[in-house]
Amino acid sequence: MHEWKKWPIKQQDKLFYRGEWNEELFKKTLVVVGSRRMTRYGREMVAKFMPDFVANEFTIISGFMYGVDTEAHRQCIEMGGKTIAVLGSGLNYLTTIDNDGLYTKILESGGLVISEYEPEFKATVWTFPQRNKIVARLATEGILVVEAGLKSGSLITARLGKEMNKAVYALPGPINSISSEGCNWLIKTGAAKIVTEIGDIIGGVVKQDKLFEIDLTNEENIIYQLLKAEPMTVDEIAKTMDRTVVDISSLITTMSMKNLVNEEMGKVYLAA
Amino acid sequence: MLTKVNSVANYGLKAVDVDVEVNVAERGFPGFGIVGLSSKSAEEAKERIKTALINSDVEFPTAKITVNLAPADLPKDGSGYDLPIAVGILASIGEINLPKEKSYFYGELSLDGSLRHTKGIFLLAVLAKEQGVKSIFVPRLCANEACVIEGIKVFPVDNLRSLIRHLKGDKPIEPLAFINTDDVLGDIHPDFDFSEVLGQEMAKRALEIAAAGGHNIFLMGPPGSGKTMLSRAIPGILPDLTERESLEVTKIFSITGNIPAGGSLVRHRPFRSPHHTTSMVGLIGGGSIPHPGEVSMAHRGVLFLDEFPEFGRNSLEALRQPLEDGNVTISRSAGSISFPAQFMLVAAANPCPCGFLGDLKKECKCNVHQILNYQKKLSGPIMDRIDLHLNVPAVDVNKLMLDSNKSQGETSATVKIRVRKAREIQRSRFDKISGVHCNADMKNSHLKDFAKLSTEANLFLKQAVNKFSLSARTYFRLIKVARTIADLAEAEVISDKHVAEALQYRVRSE
Repeated sequence: MHEWKKWPIKQQDKLFYRGEWNEELFKKTLVVVGSRRMTRYGREMVAKFMPDFVANEFTIISGFMYGVDTEAHRQCIEMGGKTIAVLGSGLNYLTTIDNDGLYTKILESGGLVISEYEPEFKATVWTFPQRNKIVARLATEGILVVEAGLKSGSLITARLGKEMNKAVYALPGPINSISSEGCNWLIKTGAAKIVTEIGDIIGGVVKQDKLFEIDLTNEENIIYQLLKAEPMTVDEIAKTMDRTVVDISSLITTMSMKNLVNEEMGKVYLAA
Repeated sequence: MLTKVNSVANYGLKAVDVDVEVNVAERGFPGFGIVGLSSKSAEEAKERIKTALINSDVEFPTAKITVNLAPADLPKDGSGYDLPIAVGILASIGEINLPKEKSYFYGELSLDGSLRHTKGIFLLAVLAKEQGVKSIFVPRLCANEACVIEGIKVFPVDNLRSLIRHLKGDKPIEPLAFINTDDVLGDIHPDFDFSEVLGQEMAKRALEIAAAGGHNIFLMGPPGSGKTMLSRAIPGILPDLTERESLEVTKIFSITGNIPAGGSLVRHRPFRSPHHTTSMVGLIGGGSIPHPGEVSMAHRGVLFLDEFPEFGRNSLEALRQPLEDGNVTISRSAGSISFPAQFMLVAAANPCPCGFLGDLKKECKCNVHQILNYQKKLSGPIMDRIDLHLNVPAVDVNKLMLDSNKSQGETSATVKIRVRKAREIQRSRFDKISGVHCNADMKNSHLKDFAKLSTEANLFLKQAVNKFSLSARTYFRLIKVARTIADLAEAEVISDKHVAEALQYRVRSE
């Protein structure tokens, strides 16, 4: 716990920071923000895009909140990338206890944790929108909103970015998902560019879907095709295929052992 | 004049002989006193008896009445002493003659002289049989409880007047006929049929496995997904109560006053769903005069704990002993009492405090810490005693409508046949092993002999252990569940298919 306190707090351009200041970090940055209440979809999408971001040497900037922010920092470090966390509080004040370990990991991986507030300053309602201003200002390649409700801080960040003439991107989500309402609204009003693949952000050639090379039995293939359309419960799969739940249950286990699907809250999803 | 009337006291699940000695003395200051460790409810008998006698046209003696409930060191609770004391007074003043053979009198009086429903009549009949007591006088409302015991004459008493006429020899009360247990136990319709639950085929399958192997089961799902309805249907797919089981359940139901007026043996497997605010004593049993709790009331049936994480930590911890041993031992200064508590635990919970975590249509209103705290409560020793873990997703109403004109789904009776078959296989398998009746009872050491895995199944299971990083405990539980699935398929050896299905019901940790 609190291993990050070993790193000294330094100051640069009115900003407090922990870690090694390196101008290179700020050359090519992408801001990834989103809802605190991230859904499974949000997590999967961060996991889907992050390898490409890191491979393209983006520095990922986010707000160190739980949900999408945390996921973006974590995935980035896992892929060996650099990330910068901008706090809405002083550097010695943690808004989420769970992020204790992540704080240390960011510093260890050569990233930065920065804040404009005095080290012991506590977060309040207005410090987060204020923090978003810094987040937006640091973006060079753009701001990507992964999941956001209609009244979320992420939309503030997007608006601020727009005012600073930054590129704003949003991931579309299901239209009946509360967590995606903000993103869909950004896209609908033209405030953000829709992102469905990495090429939308970095430009260039659009990659094709990977073809599956694992051996699928005929039945597994049918299930795989069904799940491509939407996640289903075992009941629904059984009904569609006119098979018993007993058969489908064991098929699903076999498929999840092959890393084809995974399950959550009683639903079966294609593995991301 | 001194009269001695025989009655009983209930202690735990046993009735004991009690002598009710009534002395009506002409000399001394008039009064009415009861001695012999009687509780408040027994003490209040004085007023009831006095009024009931007067309202039955008996002149209440203006004399010194002393009642002794012997043995005097055994605590006596309840209102059943009204009748023996009243009879003692009537005999003492020469109004009636006591029967020549030893008879038990037991029952609560109403002020108008009629007899009310009284707890524990079944236990009284069991004691009468043991002690060779030939006739018992009990309230008519609960006299049927006693009729299933062969060889005793059960006199149903409506009110004091008819009893007085009977004992005077004016107009005898007809003893009730013996009720054959087979007649009562045959032909049972479940309260809730499986076919009434639409959809949720996977959950139904899980319940079938749980019922077949005696496994405890945990259901997690959003409100309205049908957890309660599914649980209610479980007693209907469990094998019918055997005569022995029914007698055990009847004892508990009789002592807690849960047998309805006119009822005799309990035919249905009990289904108990205590609210999550139930105290530990309410759940486990206890009290200064120990009383069975919900776990014992669910004996041979289903204990359904809805909102499982909302139960107090103490209550949940206290469930461990009954889950392990199949009984509850309660020790009090007066002695220790053991109540049976062999039940199937069905625990249900929402995924988060508000219940809508992961729901696309409704927003979850909990913050991250609330969710973590809630789910933290779901780990721990109790969860280790639950073999099947299942997520019950919300059912899409539109899809329900589409399917409703399709097949109706299996009825409880159809499922019950499979369950019974699987139970029979288990009974012959564990014939010589004491304390093991079904797959869930197996100890890890039994698995080698009784749960043989095919080579493929073994390999598959080992791979699954690595892939899903399963603990040793989960590993053993999986084999037990796979054993039950194989039994349902009437297979000798557990195949990889059975293991694969069992894996669907493992604990899924985030």
